Amino acid sequence: MLNMNLQFFSHHKGGGSTANGRDSAGRRLGTKAADGSTVTSGSIIYRQRGTHIYPGKNVKRASDDTLFALVDGVVRFERMGRSKRQVSVYPESEAVAK
Amino acid sequence: MIKAKIIRNNNNIVKFEIRGHADAGEYGSDIVCSAVSALTISIVNGLDLVVNVHPKVTSDDLNGGLMIVEIPAIVDHDKQIMANALLDTFENGLKDISHNYSDYVKLQ
Repeated sequence: MLNMNLQFFSHHKGGGSTANGRDSAGRRLGTKAADGSTVTSGSIIYRQRGTHIYPGKNVKRASDDTLFALVDGVVRFERMGRSKRQVSVYPESEAVAK
Repeated sequence: MIKAKIIRNNNNIVKFEIRGHADAGEYGSDIVCSAVSALTISIVNGLDLVVNVHPKVTSDDLNGGLMIVEIPAIVDHDKQIMANALLDTFENGLKDISHNYSDYVKLQ
């Protein structure tokens, strides 16, 4: 007597295969230094692909679009024009005055 | 695609072969596969338990998708009638399934 296996003529679990099922690891993009936080020169502020956020005062854009501080100071995320945003770093002395 | 082959001798079905996978859905929800499986296994078990004719079954239980059933010579006339009833019903069932799901089942 045969066992009533209703999936006998179906691709068995091991049988089926798919060309999909791969993905790269997440790149951990985004903000690395929050608005108002103090950073040192060379610190990474924002990881991005393309210019989601533009470099402002005392901030430079690296070859992979990462934004980093050129001086020690306080991070400020600001609006730039109608719809763009930029990030600047103001030295402590200047930041207090703002 | 499932390919079914039915062999007759003196108008009696003496052997049938069913090969392949339906591929009509994911494992566990392939309705065509389950229809053919249920029909085939029911007939084999019917011959074995109801008609008391013990067919020789060759199947790939690991991967599925292969079943060859050979019906032994039947001397008893009544048994032959019962076996034919089951096997002809089986053939009709397969014809209907392959007619309605021709992308997945082919009766040769």
